[in-house]
Amino acid sequence: MRHKPVFQTIGTVAALVLLAFALPGPPPPDPVTLRYPAHWRAPVYDFSKNPLTRQGIELGRRLFYDPVLSRDSTVSCSSCHLSFTAFAHVDHALSHGIDDRIGRRNAPALMNLAWARHLMWDGAINHLDVQALAPISHPDEMDETLAHVLQKVQAKQPYPRLFWEAFGDSSATGEHLLKALSQFELTLLSDRSQYDRVQAGLDTFSRQEQSGYHLFRQYCARCHEEPFFTNFSFENNGLPLDTALRDLGRMAITGQAADSLKFKVPTLRNIEFSYPYMHDGRFRKLREVLQHYTQTTAPGARAELSATDKADLTAFLLTLTDRAFLFDPAFGFPLEK
Amino acid sequence: MQYRVTTWLSRQTALVLLALWLLPPPASGQAFRIEVRPVWRGQAIALDKAVQGPAGDSLLFHTLKFYLGHFEFLNHGATVFQDPGYHLLDLEAENSLDLLFKLPENLHFDSLRFAFGTDSLSNVSGALGGALDPSRGMYWSWQSGYINAKIEGQAERSPARGHHFQLHLGGYLPPAETLRKVVVSAAPKPRHLRLDWDLASFFEQIDWPTQHSIMSPGPAAAQAATRLAQAFRNHAP
Repeated sequence: MRHKPVFQTIGTVAALVLLAFALPGPPPPDPVTLRYPAHWRAPVYDFSKNPLTRQGIELGRRLFYDPVLSRDSTVSCSSCHLSFTAFAHVDHALSHGIDDRIGRRNAPALMNLAWARHLMWDGAINHLDVQALAPISHPDEMDETLAHVLQKVQAKQPYPRLFWEAFGDSSATGEHLLKALSQFELTLLSDRSQYDRVQAGLDTFSRQEQSGYHLFRQYCARCHEEPFFTNFSFENNGLPLDTALRDLGRMAITGQAADSLKFKVPTLRNIEFSYPYMHDGRFRKLREVLQHYTQTTAPGARAELSATDKADLTAFLLTLTDRAFLFDPAFGFPLEK
Repeated sequence: MQYRVTTWLSRQTALVLLALWLLPPPASGQAFRIEVRPVWRGQAIALDKAVQGPAGDSLLFHTLKFYLGHFEFLNHGATVFQDPGYHLLDLEAENSLDLLFKLPENLHFDSLRFAFGTDSLSNVSGALGGALDPSRGMYWSWQSGYINAKIEGQAERSPARGHHFQLHLGGYLPPAETLRKVVVSAAPKPRHLRLDWDLASFFEQIDWPTQHSIMSPGPAAAQAATRLAQAFRNHAP
C-alpha cells in the first residue's frame, strides 16, 4: 500500500483546513434584559436590532472609557461624562475636548437613554447608535474619524477578542462599535432615587419634600414630565440669547422660525450633581435656575415661588438623586478582572 | 498496515469533503452584471483628470461616491425580481462600480428601477452594516442621515477658494428628501448592462455662484438629486 508523498501532504492540508472550519464559533453572548419599573412605558429603542448582551455591554463600557476614540488618545467619552456626576461634566459650562478646545454646549447628563427619541440639545441626532459619531468627529471634541478609530481598535488588544465574543466577528466594524457603545449607554438606568422608592410605596417624602413635589407638579411637570422628568421635547424656557455663542437651538436643525431658542428638555433626575445647568451651562447653582423661572416672562415658563417655595422645591429636587446609579460599579471605569 | 490504510482512506474522505465544500453549488439562476460608469459626454471620468465644460472651462473630480440600491427588474411595469440591498459606488475603488445580481433562470424583464440614494428608514435605524456602515464616510456626524452622494473637485468656474466645489447631497425628511427612483431600459441578454451616469449636463447647468458647496439637506440638495438621477442611462439600449 504505497502512495506518493504529495498525496499525503494534500491529505494533511485538507484535514487541517477541514478542522479549522469545523471549529466552533464563539459561544453565543449572554443575553441581558433591561429591567425598569413596571409603570414606565416601553422604551423607544428597538432592542431587536441590537439585543443587549453581557459581552456587548462590556465592550461598550471599555470603549466609553477609552481615549482611543480621540485623534491623539487624550479624550474619552468619560472625559466629559463622569459616572459620579450622572455622566455630566461637573463644573464645565461648555464641554471641553481635545487640545483644551471649548465647545458650544454643556455636556448633558446621560441616563434612561432607551426612552430618548432625539439626542443632543437641538435634537440633531435621531438615534442613540449614531450619536457617538458627533463627538468622535467634532474638531473641538475628539477630532477623529470613525474609520480611523476602527483601525486603531483593530490593532489594540484585547479588542479583536471582545468584538468576537460580542458580535461573532473579530474585525471591528462601525456598526458593531456604535452598537456596543449603545449597549453600555442603554444600561445607564436611573430608577433608584428616593422619589422612585416613594412611588413604589417603599419610602415617604418629608413634609417639605411633599410641598416641593406639589409645586413641581404645578410649575415644572408639564415639560419635566414624570417619571423621566423630561417630555423629550424641545422648549423655549425664556433664556435670553447668549450673544457670544448665538446658539438658536432647534431652529438650526428644522429651519423653522418657531423653533428658535428651543432646546431639548433635560431630565431633572440627579440634578443635584449635573451642574452647571442649561444648554450652555450658564447657571452654576440650582437657586440661579429657580431665580430664572421666577423672573422670566416667557409664556408657560414662569413660576410664582416664594422663598419658602424655592426651599421646598429644592428639597423635592434632591429626592431625584439616585446614589445607587451614581456609584454603581457596573457603570464605572472597567477594571481588569 | 491496517492503520496506514485507514489513515489514507480518511485522508481521501477529507479531500472529497474539501472538494465538495470548495466547489460552487450547482448553478441555479443566472448572473447579471451592471457596470456603472460615471461619464462626461460619453467619455469615462477619471479622478483628478480634467474634463471640458461648454465654454472650454476645465473641471476635475477628486471624489465621486454615491449610493445605489433597491434594484428591481421590471417586465411591462411589474416587478419580477428585486434585490433590496444597497451599494456604495466609489470611483476610487473601481470594482465597487460593478454590481452583480443573481437572477432566477429565464427571467424576462424590459427595464430596471433602482434607488439613487438611501431610503428614509435606513436614515432613522441607527447603526447599520455593510455598504451602510457609518465608517464608510457617507454618514453625517453633526446631524443624523446619510450623504447619498459625495461629489468633490475643482472647477474653473467655481468662485470658491481654490476653485473647489463640494457637493454632499443628502436629506431624508420631506420636503427636502433626496432619495430618487431611476428607471432605465434593460434586457436579459446580454447578461450585463452598462449604466452611464453622465454628469456633463448637471455641471453645465449648475449655478456656480450659489451651488459650488451644498453640504446640508435643503432645496438645493433636493434639486441636485433630481437632476443627477436624470443623468443615468443605459449605454446601449
